[in-house]
Amino acid sequence: MTPDITEIFSSELPVGETLRIQRARFAPEKPDADAKRISIVSGIHGDELEGQLVIYLLAAWLRDHPEALRGTVDLYPAVNSLGVDTIIRGFPLYEIDLNRAFPGARNDFLPAQLVHALAEDVEGSDIAIDIHSSNIFLREIPQIRINKEFSEATLPLAKQLNCDFIWIHDAVTVLEATFSHTMNSRGTKTLVVEMGVGMRLTKAYGRQLLRGILNLMQQEGIIETPTEFKVRESFSSEVGDVFYINAPAAGLFVPALDHCEVIETGQWIGDIVDPLSGTVRESLYAPNGGVLFTLREYPVVYEGSLLARIFGVHDEKN
Amino acid sequence: MKKIEILKLESLSRAPMLVEGYLFEGSDPEAPSVAVVGAMEGATTLPLYSASKLVDFLRNKLGTGKILGDILVIPSVNHYALNINERFWPLDKTDINMMFPGYGLGETTQRIAHKLFEAIQGYDYGIVLETRSDLATCLPYVKLYKTGYEDIESARRLGLRIIHHREPESIETVSLQYNWQLWGSKACSVICPHQPLIDPESARVILDSLINFLNNSGIIRYETFNGYDSTVVTRERIEVVQSPHSGIFIPTKKPGMTVSKDETIGKIVHALEGEVVHRFLAPCDGMITCTYMHSLIFENAVAYRIAKIH
Repeated sequence: MTPDITEIFSSELPVGETLRIQRARFAPEKPDADAKRISIVSGIHGDELEGQLVIYLLAAWLRDHPEALRGTVDLYPAVNSLGVDTIIRGFPLYEIDLNRAFPGARNDFLPAQLVHALAEDVEGSDIAIDIHSSNIFLREIPQIRINKEFSEATLPLAKQLNCDFIWIHDAVTVLEATFSHTMNSRGTKTLVVEMGVGMRLTKAYGRQLLRGILNLMQQEGIIETPTEFKVRESFSSEVGDVFYINAPAAGLFVPALDHCEVIETGQWIGDIVDPLSGTVRESLYAPNGGVLFTLREYPVVYEGSLLARIFGVHDEKN
Repeated sequence: MKKIEILKLESLSRAPMLVEGYLFEGSDPEAPSVAVVGAMEGATTLPLYSASKLVDFLRNKLGTGKILGDILVIPSVNHYALNINERFWPLDKTDINMMFPGYGLGETTQRIAHKLFEAIQGYDYGIVLETRSDLATCLPYVKLYKTGYEDIESARRLGLRIIHHREPESIETVSLQYNWQLWGSKACSVICPHQPLIDPESARVILDSLINFLNNSGIIRYETFNGYDSTVVTRERIEVVQSPHSGIFIPTKKPGMTVSKDETIGKIVHALEGEVVHRFLAPCDGMITCTYMHSLIFENAVAYRIAKIH
């Protein structure tokens, strides 16, 4: 099965090139009237590539299983295509974080036009999944982040996605400028996935999320296949707390643990060292036991830089 | 005048960043006070230059006994970005002006914002010197958010030509001006042109506006020339001119110039073949408030914004 490729946004660039944002649509020739539509989006940040692997794996699966398709699957692998191609997180030149520019408008500046085109194109989907890779500084286990405001509708979907963790956030006004808030506000149930690290691919995570997306599509009747996509049960921030560990000093962060380890209160997480003097500036210890679901990947830190996040049930001993 | 430490931040490899404020204590306890915050970002120097020239004026030009209310000037909050021509915080590229009111236990730029915000609390007035967030340069103007706490009358005392009075976007609810207003200071922003080299004319206008504000608010006593009776402009009055083609952008009218409907205001030249592929005509009578600021322009990019004459 070959998808229909459509440009959802284009703009002539100044010197002999056109900026294009493309969508691949997989749909049966005669879909049922009540067939659902799902949109999978990635690359809103140009330095995040994990979603591109997931979309590749999903597109390859759909090509191999055309008989299974009942609904419409729209794939947007590289929303910030200029950024993806130049290893720039924001929209190049404008230095704008596209995920802080929604819903955008036709007569606003160019990044706002681009996000407006995406939101217009995705509008009408029953479900949308926005895949991010954390950033170049942090490594994340596969997790879903959903806004409390929309959690009643989106939490059941999140549980289908084969991720390890579901993090329900309180509403923050700046999140109104994100893709997920915009689409949820317009009636498309939208989930945000964070996994892996910026500028890299984590193949195991890609396969894990593919299984979850296939499972979700099966549950929603978008695909029909005898294959059973067994998914793991996520742990959720409904039943525990997230503990942040920020750097108390500048230096080079040398972790003592592996990402995704289950740790205990007081366990050594790593040191911040000074290469010039050969001294340890600070040693870091876990404020609470739990799963080390975020771990710093980029070692240079300032005071305040996020080093790790732990998810766990609050330890009364502390 | 005394220098006060606002914050100090260590680095792995660079010298520590020491952010200082210049505090001029007034002689009249009844007089109002003001804090002025300069460069929170790098890659443009007018906020830095304007704040530093204000320090020079207050310290060396004003004369003794003429400062009535307390004045705090913080010329730079982001030396690390300014010194390497980065726009945002050099490590994680976050914008300090999107971190307010700040968080003392949060990430680096949240901590910077927190310490800055603590230092500028309690002032009657607040002025933020900043540049536009899009790719545009402009005439110096006042940006004033509609928060329910804004004060147009004090913004008028700057004597700039335009006060852009508008609702904040959701992302702007974490800006300094917005939060400063919510915490009880009459805050506004002076938007500075985005220029790599200092334009003496713009710099003069901005410094004069700050001096006008101080004098008109009773914070200093200084005989000066009047500024403009500012025109308050809302979003509905701004006409957006987009570029129908990409290419080399050559504006022939600058921000601050008044234009007539159908007057030529710029052109686009084909980047490879040199021919003029578009001429921009003013869509209305008005004043150009900002123009796109690079020579190469994308199709559909906003080339001009014009404040319409009713």
